[in-house]
Amino acid sequence: MPDQDQSSATPAVELRNIDKSFYGVFANADVDFSLAKGEVHALLGENGAGKSTLCSVMAGLYRPDSGEMLFDGKPMVFKSPKDAYAAGVGMVYQHFRLVSNLTVAENLALGNPEVGLRLSQGQLEAEAKELGERYDFPVDPSARIWQLSVGQQQRVEILKLLYRDAKILILDEPTAVLTPQEGEALFRAMRMLADEGRSLIFVSHKLQEVKAVSDRVTVLREGRVVGAANTDDAEPRDLARMMVGKDLVLPTRKPNESVGDEVLVIEDLVVEDDRGLDAVDGLSISVRAGEVVGIAGVSGNGQRELAQGIVGLMKVKSGSVRLNGTDVTKKSVLAKIKSGIAYVPQSRLGMGLAPGLTTEDNLALKQYREPPYSNGPLLSAAAFGRRGAELIEEFDVRGVRPGLPIRLLSGGNLQKALIAREVVQDHSVLIARSPTRGLDVGATADVRDHILAERDRGIAVLLISEDLDELLALSDRLVVIYEGRIVGEMPASEATAERLGLLMSGEREDQSA
Amino acid sequence: MNDSVLMLTIMAAIGLGTPIVFATVGEILAERSGILNLGVQGMMLFGAVVGFWATFQTGSLWLGVFLAVVAGAAISVIHAFNSVTLRVSQIVSGLALTIFGTGVAIFIGRAGASPLVGRPSREIFEPIFPQSLADIPLVGPLIFGHDALVYLSWVIVAIASYYLFHTRPGLTVRAVGEDPASAEAAGINVSRVRYIHVMLGGALAGLGGAYFSLALVPSWQDNPIGSAGWIAIALVILASWRPWRALWVAYLFGAAGRVNFTFQTLEINIPSNLLAMLPFLLAIVAMLILASGKRARLLGAPEALGVPYFREER
Amino acid sequence: MSRRIIVEPRGLAPWWLKLLIPVASVIAALALGALFLMMTGNDWVEVYKKMADTAFGSGRGFAETLVSATPLILTGVAAAIAFKMLVWNIGGEGQLMFGAIAAAGVGIWLGGGTPPIIAITAVVLAGAIGGAFWASLSAVPKVYLGTNEIITTLMLNFIALNLMQYLVLGSFSPWRDPEATQFPQGRPIIDNARIPEFFHRLDWGLFIAIFVAVLAWFVISKTRSGFEYRIVGDSFNTARYAGIRVPKKILGTFLLSGASAGLAGSILVAGILGKMDPRSLDLGLGFTGIIVAALARLNPIAIIPVAILMGALNNAGPALQSIGVPTATVKILQGAILIFAVAGEFLIGNRFRRPRESVEEKPEPAKEASAA
Repeated sequence: MPDQDQSSATPAVELRNIDKSFYGVFANADVDFSLAKGEVHALLGENGAGKSTLCSVMAGLYRPDSGEMLFDGKPMVFKSPKDAYAAGVGMVYQHFRLVSNLTVAENLALGNPEVGLRLSQGQLEAEAKELGERYDFPVDPSARIWQLSVGQQQRVEILKLLYRDAKILILDEPTAVLTPQEGEALFRAMRMLADEGRSLIFVSHKLQEVKAVSDRVTVLREGRVVGAANTDDAEPRDLARMMVGKDLVLPTRKPNESVGDEVLVIEDLVVEDDRGLDAVDGLSISVRAGEVVGIAGVSGNGQRELAQGIVGLMKVKSGSVRLNGTDVTKKSVLAKIKSGIAYVPQSRLGMGLAPGLTTEDNLALKQYREPPYSNGPLLSAAAFGRRGAELIEEFDVRGVRPGLPIRLLSGGNLQKALIAREVVQDHSVLIARSPTRGLDVGATADVRDHILAERDRGIAVLLISEDLDELLALSDRLVVIYEGRIVGEMPASEATAERLGLLMSGEREDQSA
Repeated sequence: MNDSVLMLTIMAAIGLGTPIVFATVGEILAERSGILNLGVQGMMLFGAVVGFWATFQTGSLWLGVFLAVVAGAAISVIHAFNSVTLRVSQIVSGLALTIFGTGVAIFIGRAGASPLVGRPSREIFEPIFPQSLADIPLVGPLIFGHDALVYLSWVIVAIASYYLFHTRPGLTVRAVGEDPASAEAAGINVSRVRYIHVMLGGALAGLGGAYFSLALVPSWQDNPIGSAGWIAIALVILASWRPWRALWVAYLFGAAGRVNFTFQTLEINIPSNLLAMLPFLLAIVAMLILASGKRARLLGAPEALGVPYFREER
Repeated sequence: MSRRIIVEPRGLAPWWLKLLIPVASVIAALALGALFLMMTGNDWVEVYKKMADTAFGSGRGFAETLVSATPLILTGVAAAIAFKMLVWNIGGEGQLMFGAIAAAGVGIWLGGGTPPIIAITAVVLAGAIGGAFWASLSAVPKVYLGTNEIITTLMLNFIALNLMQYLVLGSFSPWRDPEATQFPQGRPIIDNARIPEFFHRLDWGLFIAIFVAVLAWFVISKTRSGFEYRIVGDSFNTARYAGIRVPKKILGTFLLSGASAGLAGSILVAGILGKMDPRSLDLGLGFTGIIVAALARLNPIAIIPVAILMGALNNAGPALQSIGVPTATVKILQGAILIFAVAGEFLIGNRFRRPRESVEEKPEPAKEASAA
């Protein structure tokens, strides 16, 4: 349980026994939490530990099932974010809540009762500019949100809160979308805000960041508070143990013993994004049989276009994709599936699975065209049931009931079903994007095992991820991309977080280094 | 000069276009908040019959108009409830509203011992300025030749346009239609905004309906409005969700409706059915050219139009 | 806080609920209709009795009900297969009318000596092709240009209606009956192209309609193509990912939807009408098909009984005039049924609970001491 605040001052926020569940599954249970005025308080925890939910409860987006919330000593019930704003609480969500078709100034004015009925673009823009300059956050107030970079959008989010003079700022994983260097700038701004007397909640699952910026830290695991401490007193090892629930074990990974021939060869690949810009801009990689090549990079540097270009979901503008010596660049998605490319996309329910169909149907999603699933133009219901049951058993997919749409399974089970389907088909290449994103510790371990097993049976694995831990745990070789180009390449054994971080922010290093 | 074919066509275009202006601006407000309402036809007919009935009973035109507005707003609540609170298919719910509203309107017109159907209206809207002003060449009819509701439609268009693009509540509406999750996070009550604008849409549709039964076709028939409600839905796209443009495209369609008569005057013989297709063909061609695919976005289509919004989504 | 009710999506709706909601929608609509009738000084019991009697009270009455239901099965299937794939084809009206135009055209053009089996097949298929063609005018722009089909199908309804009227009125039109001098009428199709009746006015078209509904169910649930259709209907992205050509699939569904509506037109022309009769083809059968599809929850088999119910209402409507009640009563009932059925979808898709109830056990407290 968290320590009592040493000072006699009333905490800015105090939570008592907060419970919140979704669809019968607890996201927060019996959470106690206190935030002192003028402090930066880190909420530390693994993916799925309930950090975001807790923040959304404080910001009025979710209502707790039970429990008490005190703001500046006064009990409050927030029915909506509007009530939270009125109480001086504002949040920067992990997925920004900016209306992309409106301008920066309009987004600042949105929902703000202090803006008059009449909207004066000129005045709003002047105010936004002034505010940005005061906090050393320069943004063009007349720009539309979609024209801004991710880092700039985040600044707009923070300015939005400052424009309303929020006293309590909640930042949900703000560094996830930033380069380490952009993160530094953010931390300076956070300190400045705390020095002004504002209180900040900083959500992260990265120990170094917590150490770097916070005064105090509260650790969440599986929806519960498992510890709280002054950051300076806390040993990183202890925090890590609390977060994971066991001692941190370095991933035990057998080095790949036999690397075979080049299976997937990509040369000078150019793929346009939805806006028609070259998101993948002349990229060449090759992946050998029995090798995991990790692609590191900050989100939005061409990862999506690279993966979708290879599997045929996006059009390749130029360059080539060869598979076992055959050019498959212009082949259709179906032809590529048949030629042996397995693909685990980033979005499970958005792409990899048909959310409304059953698990058995989903397990057949790529092989229904052939026997035993199909018999001429007719389907064999028996084959769906039998084959489905086998895979569900073998890959330990839990929670399956007859007729149940797969979207109702948990993230870990969704991913297991998805991977099951991809690895049982005939294939020589596996492309996986952030395969353990959002999974709990157990499911993460399972998924990693499956990927390493793929490697060991001689599959060429291309792992595209924004999570350095995942990349370091699985890859044999690492390639860093920035703005659609390769900026560095190294064996996993020579990779450090620092070196990768620099490359990911676009600092090109000598290839021979 | 005021009797020239061109002038008569323009005047008719304004007359025939006015009810469509009301309905189109109403639908623009609803769609800007993210709710597609295919019930316009039903809401207009309901407004038409209620307005006609009230004026028939009381002899007061303005009471008729007022009740038509209330009736339109009231019946639109069905759609708001279905699409905002229950979050079911907006398309099917809107169609249901049209079928229901049409049924109710015809029923009211034919119910009872002395039904309304076939009866002339007790009062009708007439031009409000003296004939002498309307006789001024050119500007006379254009500026002084209309009934009160035409002027009201101009005022409503101006207010709606200013509201949407130059006020904070208008910004709120646009944000809710573009990205309800972000609007909600900014402290906006998405459901309330959507209810209000669906009801404003209903109110204006009711007003448009009353313009038919109390000004254009001043006697009750089963369907005095033709397919004006459906046209309004198409015009929202042609007007690219902007009230002033709605005024011009509605007049253009009013003119198309009049073309038949104009051609006869000019001794051009085109079968009336072929001419009646014209507005619909025009709408399709315009859609193909202007509003296909991504161009709809550029044109101003609200991003979240027709998409139900779930608040506690994880 | 415990008074709060939490609404959340449910996993599997029990089968009885899926049955209960449509039934309850009909009952609620009848109750609302009764209220209307009472408010306007009618005896609602008498009205409903009259309706039931007309629609189901006699063999001939029921046959008339089935006659009314036949096109509704087909327009219902048209709406259902399109809506399930999020193709908002609300152009059943126009596709039915153009199907009728095509069917009548072939039925007039064929030589009188054509053997019945060939003539009937040709006329009926002409309707399906005509309906598919009319749908293609919306489907092709939707698939290749991204044009919103809601508006184009809607506009094409009015164009088809005017086209049909023009073809009957136009003095040079082959569709116009040269012998009808007073009121312009559609020209009768050849006798050999008429679908034979087997009881009262009921013809074999009913079985064509039922066959189409069953076929739709079979294809969707039992075939490979139907599996692809279900995947596309669930998620476009996933379908693309699984190697399915989504645009082709959407185009195909849209055309089949139009064909089904067009078939309704040709069965009317080759069946009870015997000619292209604009007034009998402009009864809102396309829109009523949407009610049928919604109430049947887009299930092709359920469409059959639901269409019979709607057919019964359509059949009973005109009879109400004899007791001084407007025919529009039926429209109110149909609109209300659809409103309630749509609202009922919410109950099927969601469940209610109190914050702390019916929740699984809380997770065990983690066994970890504080670090500091």
